[in-house]
Amino acid sequence: MSDRDTDQREQHDRTEAGADLTLTSITKRFGAFTAVDDLDLVVEQGRFFALLGPSGCGKTTTLRMVAGLEEPTSGRIEIAGRDISRLKPYKRPVNTVFQSYALFPHLDISENVAFGLRRRGVRDVKRQVGEMLELVELGGYGKRRPAQLSGGQQQRVALARALINRPQVLLLDEPLGALDLKLRRQMQIELKRIQTEVGITFVHVTHDQEEAMTMADTIAVMNQGVIEQMGAPHELYDSPATTFVSNFLGQSNLVRAEVVARDGERVVVDAFGSKLVAPTGRARRTEGKVWVGVRPEKVFLARAGSETGDDSNVLGAGTVSDVSFIGVSTQYLVAMPWGQELTVFEQNSGARDGFRVGDQVDLHWSAAHTFLLDADQDAHAGDESYAAMAGASAS
Amino acid sequence: MSIAQAGVTTEGLTGPEPAPPVRRRSKAGYLLLLPGMLWLVVFFLVPTIQLMATSLYDPNGSLETGYTMTGSISNYWTALSTFQAPFLRSLLYAGIATLLALLLAYPLAYAIAFKAGRWKNAMLVLVIAPFFTSFLVRTLAWKSILSDNGFIVSTLKDLHVLPPDGRLLATSVAVITGLTYNFVPFMVLPLYASLEKIDLRLVEASKDLYADGFTSFRKVTLPLSMPGLVAGTLLTFIPAAGDYINAELLGTPQQYMIGNVIDNLFLVQLDYPIAASCSVILMLAIVAMVLVYVRRAGTEELL
Amino acid sequence: MVAMPRFQPSPDALRRVQASRSVDRRTFLRAAGLAGLGLGAPSLLSACGTPAAKQTASSCRSTDLSAQEKTLHFSNWPLYIDEEKVTQNGKKVTVFPSLQNFEKQSGIKVDYVTDVNDNSEFFGVVRNQLADCQPTGRDIMVLTDWMAARMVDLGWLQKLDKSKLPNVEANLVSTLKSPTWDKERSYSVPWQSGLTGIAYNAKLTKEVKSFDELLTRSDLKGKISLLSEMHDTMLFMLLLVGADPEDFTDDEFGQAIDRLQKATDAGQVRAFTGNEYAQDLAKGNIVACEAWSGDIIQLQFDNPDIKFVAPEEGLALWSDNMLVPNKSSHKTNAEDLMNFYYDPENAATLAAWVNYICPVDGAKEAMTKIDKSLVDNELIFPTSELLSNAKDFMGLDQRTEQKYQKQFATVIGA
Repeated sequence: MSDRDTDQREQHDRTEAGADLTLTSITKRFGAFTAVDDLDLVVEQGRFFALLGPSGCGKTTTLRMVAGLEEPTSGRIEIAGRDISRLKPYKRPVNTVFQSYALFPHLDISENVAFGLRRRGVRDVKRQVGEMLELVELGGYGKRRPAQLSGGQQQRVALARALINRPQVLLLDEPLGALDLKLRRQMQIELKRIQTEVGITFVHVTHDQEEAMTMADTIAVMNQGVIEQMGAPHELYDSPATTFVSNFLGQSNLVRAEVVARDGERVVVDAFGSKLVAPTGRARRTEGKVWVGVRPEKVFLARAGSETGDDSNVLGAGTVSDVSFIGVSTQYLVAMPWGQELTVFEQNSGARDGFRVGDQVDLHWSAAHTFLLDADQDAHAGDESYAAMAGASAS
Repeated sequence: MSIAQAGVTTEGLTGPEPAPPVRRRSKAGYLLLLPGMLWLVVFFLVPTIQLMATSLYDPNGSLETGYTMTGSISNYWTALSTFQAPFLRSLLYAGIATLLALLLAYPLAYAIAFKAGRWKNAMLVLVIAPFFTSFLVRTLAWKSILSDNGFIVSTLKDLHVLPPDGRLLATSVAVITGLTYNFVPFMVLPLYASLEKIDLRLVEASKDLYADGFTSFRKVTLPLSMPGLVAGTLLTFIPAAGDYINAELLGTPQQYMIGNVIDNLFLVQLDYPIAASCSVILMLAIVAMVLVYVRRAGTEELL
Repeated sequence: MVAMPRFQPSPDALRRVQASRSVDRRTFLRAAGLAGLGLGAPSLLSACGTPAAKQTASSCRSTDLSAQEKTLHFSNWPLYIDEEKVTQNGKKVTVFPSLQNFEKQSGIKVDYVTDVNDNSEFFGVVRNQLADCQPTGRDIMVLTDWMAARMVDLGWLQKLDKSKLPNVEANLVSTLKSPTWDKERSYSVPWQSGLTGIAYNAKLTKEVKSFDELLTRSDLKGKISLLSEMHDTMLFMLLLVGADPEDFTDDEFGQAIDRLQKATDAGQVRAFTGNEYAQDLAKGNIVACEAWSGDIIQLQFDNPDIKFVAPEEGLALWSDNMLVPNKSSHKTNAEDLMNFYYDPENAATLAAWVNYICPVDGAKEAMTKIDKSLVDNELIFPTSELLSNAKDFMGLDQRTEQKYQKQFATVIGA
């Protein structure tokens, strides 16, 4: 049957490790709506790659185009240099772990896992299925039906069912979305372990920035059909390229400022009368109006006028407006004279003073932790809590 | 893959020493069962027992002289040997009609479930629409459609599918066509209900796992639609096997099915014991076939 | 041999034809009758068998309450009485003028129900009550000869009092005075009569003169139908083998069955039908067939090419008969009605509308006052020459009847 030619076709390009996935100028429109807009992307072989973004940003559509479940309006998709853009899904060397798992309810666990092997007419199905179930720690569950397993177990079956085919690229569409928090953390570690073990290229779609940062070697942050920024998790975190990335990946304080001076290494800006310094490498804009950015946990609070340091940026004359004790840290909101509230996370190390609402404070942080962003961008882009609040007040 | 869960539960049939709350519930359970059981006894059990008793009466009796119960098992032998042909014909016609109905109904149900979009409800109404007119009128309409001077017959003659003096009416073809037509909705509706429930992501998953369109249908869509398929074939086959209107209106006595024979035995020949034997045989034959079928369907051997 | 003349249909008759086209309810009602057999007979639920259904005048006595109760329950076939649509209180309702006349004259209120659609089906409906000597709720029912014969045989009918039927005594046409199954007309009075003969479509075939032609002419092969009513069809088969349908032996019946078998084996007969043959003849699916005169009159309104022929072998004359079942408590009222319709003028009123053979002498003369165009219609007022050719089927006891029905069923079936 057709299962056999599928197998022969697969033999030559099926490799033990994964392969480069290249998307060139991929666009997908649904009627007037552009889901993915002229996207270019290279995922290197063997990477754990995360596509991160809010719902509706086009990340799942991108994944489905790679799987062949959607056809791109234009552009090319290549795996290991071979154009697969117009191949039927069942002819592509990729497999998918679906968000809903999509396990076949009429087949038992073994047959679910064996499905792809049987279609390709592979011999020795039983042994491979056994090994795969062991890998995902479900040995002995082979005769059960999907409905008899818990969510986490089903998730692992879905993973096993895809992995057993040794695809060149494994696509994971929000695979942990349906699990509770604790199980999700556990599965994140598990997934990472398995990826390391099998060495296949993983493309993982998620809206959970912590999940992306925990697992991925490389993250691409997507927004409105385009990639805002791509890189290693710490690069993205420390040096966001856009306000969207700075807000979506962690939290940021963004203060309006204007560039007043710059040399080879530093850019000096004026923010409401305070001179602040940022490294040139972290400045996305080096002239005119900018956003000065700093992560809340990089900021120290000090009693007004009590501390200074040479390389420190200081914003003075703040008033503590809210204190939340979270155990390992304390979260402060500080009202600035120009009406903005900034966020500060202080470790509860015991080494520093605590503050109360109404205390007058200065904000200090190292110039090295400062970044500059284009002031034309929306300061609240990607800030989901702000969007939720704005949405709530609008309705 | 049972087609219907038995409506009767064993709830309430607890042990001899039930706890007080359980006892209260068990009484309520019996009370709830009562109307259903009563209905079954009056309209199913009593007539069935009567039918079985009648089938064992002395075949030499008559309405005039009355019948005595002689336990004449030989009635069954008489019925089978005399009416072997109509019996086999009934099963054959019903079988072919069921198969044709399935071939017609599956693509239709599939299209309604997956491709119809906003026309879905309109199409479902169209499927049921024939029920708004009487069964007889619909069957009689086929007399016109298949008539010797009608469009279909003359076209088939032009295409040399039918010989110049050929006809469709008063042949097995007409009877099977009528049966198929009349019972197709009973096939479409359960199939639609079954297909409509299928999660399309499962089909995507199978394509992702190297199944081409046909394999995906065979391994995922078809097995998942089995409950509807089993229900549909039963809902088609059972009434078709007992039908006599189609054979009477579209066929001739050469096409008579067992329903026609029973009708004639009961009302014209007044041979109640043999008529009852035929009815019982038909009933048992269908029950036996259904049991085998459902069991096989349950183990997916049908695929 | 008499070829039937074309004639002008009366407007009433046309309406009747249109109404009768709509649905063939016979089959449906037969199904209802079958269901009735199963459900309506709890008294039969005895594993020890059923008692004899035969009744006698002494085993089943009926009391006549006609003197006190001026009512009558009349079960008839649909479209078998003169009808008129009138507007009452803004609603269109159907009334029966001749019946209203009767009510006025007699002071008897008639409950007229058209619930007879098929002899066998109707038998299924009343069987259980009559077998148990229970009232059926009917005072007159109209059934065809062979079914009436079955009822007489089973003793399910009340004997009529001739002294109350002077018009019937005086005016019943002589050919219908002593059928084989009720020699004295003690239990039955004909409502309307008809002929069984041959019909053909003159546009599609040349004249068919006899049953012999019908069963042997090669150009008719596969294009004829016969009636599935055993008495009708076998009467002609008996004539074909030279036997007398009014007095024949088992052997002769066997020969007649063989004659029929030969024709079906040769593929001459396309189908054995009930009244559906009319539709097939009109559509040209069959070109010639055994037919009932009443159906053919109706077809002729639409299609003058349809001809009715009295076969060379002879004709069958049948009647639908008014019968009073046991336990009817309005026998005298029923007799009043029978007598009323044997008044020639009333008979002519009825005949002008239903267009069947009128069994009442003198109605032809009365017709001149009602509708002149129908006076010379031989299918309503046949000549005595035509009627002298008419045959009746021998009266059979139930056992023989059952035996012959079985033989017949075997030939027309598989």
